[in-house]
Amino acid sequence: MKIAQEQRPHIRKINEHCYEIDVRGLVCPYPQLLVMRVLANLSSDDILEVLVDNPPSARDIPKAVGDSGHRVLDTSRSDASAWRIVIQTERQ
Amino acid sequence: MKLFVDDIERFLGRYSIGRDSNPIDVTGSLHFLRIKVPGGLLTTEQFRGIADLVGRYGRERAEVTDRQDIQMHWIQAEDTLDIFSTMESLGFTTDMCGQGFSGAKYGDVRNIVCCPASGIVKEEILDGRPLLTSLTGHFSGNQDFLDLPRKFKISISGCGADCTRAYINDLSFVAVRMGEDRGFTFLVGGSAGVSLPGPRLAKPTGVFVKPDEAFDVAVATVEIYKDHGNRESKAKARFKWLIETWGVSKYVVALEEKLGWALERYDGPIFERRNAHEGVQPQSQEGSWCVNVPLVGGRLSRREMEAIASLADEYGSGELRLTPTQSIIIPNVKRKAMVLKRLARMGFPLHGSSLRWNCMGCASDFCGKTSSPHAKEVVVDVVNHLESSFSDELLEGAGLRIHVSGCFNDCGAASVADIGLIGKQIREGDEMKQVYNVFLGGCGGPEPSLGRLVEENVPTSELKQWIESLLGNYDKRRKPLESFGEFCRRHATHELKTLTKGAEH
Repeated sequence: MKIAQEQRPHIRKINEHCYEIDVRGLVCPYPQLLVMRVLANLSSDDILEVLVDNPPSARDIPKAVGDSGHRVLDTSRSDASAWRIVIQTERQ
Repeated sequence: MKLFVDDIERFLGRYSIGRDSNPIDVTGSLHFLRIKVPGGLLTTEQFRGIADLVGRYGRERAEVTDRQDIQMHWIQAEDTLDIFSTMESLGFTTDMCGQGFSGAKYGDVRNIVCCPASGIVKEEILDGRPLLTSLTGHFSGNQDFLDLPRKFKISISGCGADCTRAYINDLSFVAVRMGEDRGFTFLVGGSAGVSLPGPRLAKPTGVFVKPDEAFDVAVATVEIYKDHGNRESKAKARFKWLIETWGVSKYVVALEEKLGWALERYDGPIFERRNAHEGVQPQSQEGSWCVNVPLVGGRLSRREMEAIASLADEYGSGELRLTPTQSIIIPNVKRKAMVLKRLARMGFPLHGSSLRWNCMGCASDFCGKTSSPHAKEVVVDVVNHLESSFSDELLEGAGLRIHVSGCFNDCGAASVADIGLIGKQIREGDEMKQVYNVFLGGCGGPEPSLGRLVEENVPTSELKQWIESLLGNYDKRRKPLESFGEFCRRHATHELKTLTKGAEH
């Protein structure tokens, strides 16, 4: 099965060091796996903003990010059914 | 930025993990994996493959669920691509677990439950496996059915007994005879959970379909649900809400329109009996036995799984079947005495009453909002206590079924058990206390009914005595051949309350 076009994780470059990934509509574990994969491709101190609407993923992503040494700068509701998680990458 | 997603993409729509979360008793598990085993049918090679996953990723413990799945806990997201890859090679998928979303969306067709003795039970009306296989093949990973308003549950009973709890499925096929013909009638809109309009028994449609027509009926029904199910409110999104608001007649009209042909009426009986497949039974194949191993609560260690697989290889045909009462069948056994001896040595004795095969508990320690002892522990404790307090004859005659759910979501189907226990926490002073609401008289089969709430807030420590008193009074006051369920339904709620206040036996 292929990801439907509207479901494809949409990665957008906001500026030189800031990216956004939209994982709305995906069930666990995919949002977390995709976010960690993007983070592995960013440079130190880059910012990744995550849009997620799956409550378990909104719980899990900040934990997984923290466990990997990156920093969660902010987690907030982007609307009634979604969250925006702002992450700063950190390379050891 | 280009992101490589092919290795993830291949699993989308067929594999997911669900949320484990108990804020009171923290287990350390964030996710469960629910492996769909259609009809509970699997080979020992597949079972060993799952046992290996259980050993590597699930802390050595598996659970047979009441929908014939195998569930594991402590699943780490970063391990899932390896797990999914192994599952794919074994031929399994998972539930899609979309109910974590806040809205009425991303529901899927859950593991299809089928009579666990299909094709081997004596005097079977119809073998449900062809329908099971065709429906599973159609719905599994089918993008057209991955965004239902909520989950959708289908069952198939071919043996004449209500071995699949047909009355709490969204769509239940039940094999019946009509004249010389054999086919299915079907029921719609059942559910044990509290989502609106509350627990409901599935309603008979009064329709008869030939075996090869049932597939189209199922697909059309799920399409009707997809198109007309409530998407405004998650609480009203289950199929039972649509059936409640439409009525069965309107559903049948919509079904006929979608099918393009007129359905045949059926007004005969639905089930011939309630229970089936407990213990050791001769099969329809001469000289073969069906050995149903009671797991009481459904938990198995990896080593137990491997030992059961070895028994099935050595004495059976390399096949196993998970039952909807959280047990496991070894079919096609030739030398049953040896199997029973080995099972007893493993800690699975098969003597005694049928109670061991007719009890269930949900996994409330992982997803509930209650504290220990949890549903599976309670069911083991109560069964052991009753077996040591009463004779096998009494328990057998009572035809007792005990289901325990950790919370009001009633995943343990307490509302259709003779004794149904639903846990909750209440405040007592500064402390929270674990208690159970007790429902009595629920049942499926020929005369289905939902259990009645008879007592609220029974402390866990008093449950065994409470049930023992009630059963003692049943022993003293029952009519000849009266089952425990019939006894409960004959008495008013206030009378049943009185009967829990002590009895000699």
